Amino acid sequence: MFNNLIFIILFMLGFYALVMKTNLIKNVIGLNIMEAAVFFWVISFSDVGGEVSIHKLGEEVTKFNDPVPQALTLTGIVIGASTAALLLTLIIELNKFSGTIDREKIEGLND
Amino acid sequence: MEIPTETQPEVESLNKLMKKTLVSVVLAGVALALYRSFALMPGYQGLNLGLSNYIIESGLKDTGSLNLITAVLYDYRAFDSLGESTVIFGAVSGIVLILSRKMLPVSSKGLSFIVKRTLGIMTPFIALFGLYIMSHGHLTPGGGFQGGVILAAISIIFSIVYGSAFDYRRYSPQTKTALETGGALTFLGLGLAGILMEGAFLQNLGFLTAETGTLISAGSIPYINIGVGFKVGAGLAIIFYSMIQKTFEEDF
Repeated sequence: MFNNLIFIILFMLGFYALVMKTNLIKNVIGLNIMEAAVFFWVISFSDVGGEVSIHKLGEEVTKFNDPVPQALTLTGIVIGASTAALLLTLIIELNKFSGTIDREKIEGLND
Repeated sequence: MEIPTETQPEVESLNKLMKKTLVSVVLAGVALALYRSFALMPGYQGLNLGLSNYIIESGLKDTGSLNLITAVLYDYRAFDSLGESTVIFGAVSGIVLILSRKMLPVSSKGLSFIVKRTLGIMTPFIALFGLYIMSHGHLTPGGGFQGGVILAAISIIFSIVYGSAFDYRRYSPQTKTALETGGALTFLGLGLAGILMEGAFLQNLGFLTAETGTLISAGSIPYINIGVGFKVGAGLAIIFYSMIQKTFEEDF
């Protein structure tokens, strides 16, 4: 059950960075760590000790790992990359607008 | 009414310490609860695995794709992959819209002569590797998304090593936009061809199947892979380009 433990540690690390750090780029990094933890857990949970789920020509494999969680994880990675890029772009704009990327020092957004 | 200025930083740091402790305690509690509930979960074998067993047993027969993950992505769940590439398209559109500035990027001069020559020799091989990963998605590990990221890396390395003006001249944003749109239209066109020939959107085209294990087999999966690859590569290159454009404008 090491994968559960590692998942919890990684997830809590990312959540801590998301809650406690005031630097917005560090928040995005924390979000990505949480994502990576979930992907790691899904893949390690579905590992039943079989082969990689790709057929080989002229070779009969009796036991495969489940391909469905791997396909879902691939989807998740792509979505995560897109959202991270969009978040970083918004942070770039915010830096141009208010001169800081610290979320407690942002001023002038009320105007 | 007067707060002594010397003690204020101390109060602030004490506040921060308290906040940190509180958050740590809460997180530790959540972690403990998670750990306890993991112990109650059934193992993977205890789940209902009917769909997975079906795909493992007859995925090769249904789709002709050796790589079962590709079979899931571009045949069983192809509509979902279309939505996924739409998300990338939306992200690229949003980023370009937010960072839009009609301005030729001012380039740095790039790195040294040695690095430029070395990259000049290596670039065709990187491109070949990306195309290989893209077009062999149904036979070996890889596929459209992975190969597209490798292609986008070429553009990013060009911007760093030769300076961004070189990248702008050789692969202008218009070219990248055309590539991205072309990839998306390839995907949609194959879906519509599925309606016309097989009766359902994104159904695998039966007449394209060939002997299993050859490069052009598995119906429309290789073509979808190539379209998605170009779309993802061009999209990521556009994202990088939009960001670096702004940076250079601020620096110079």
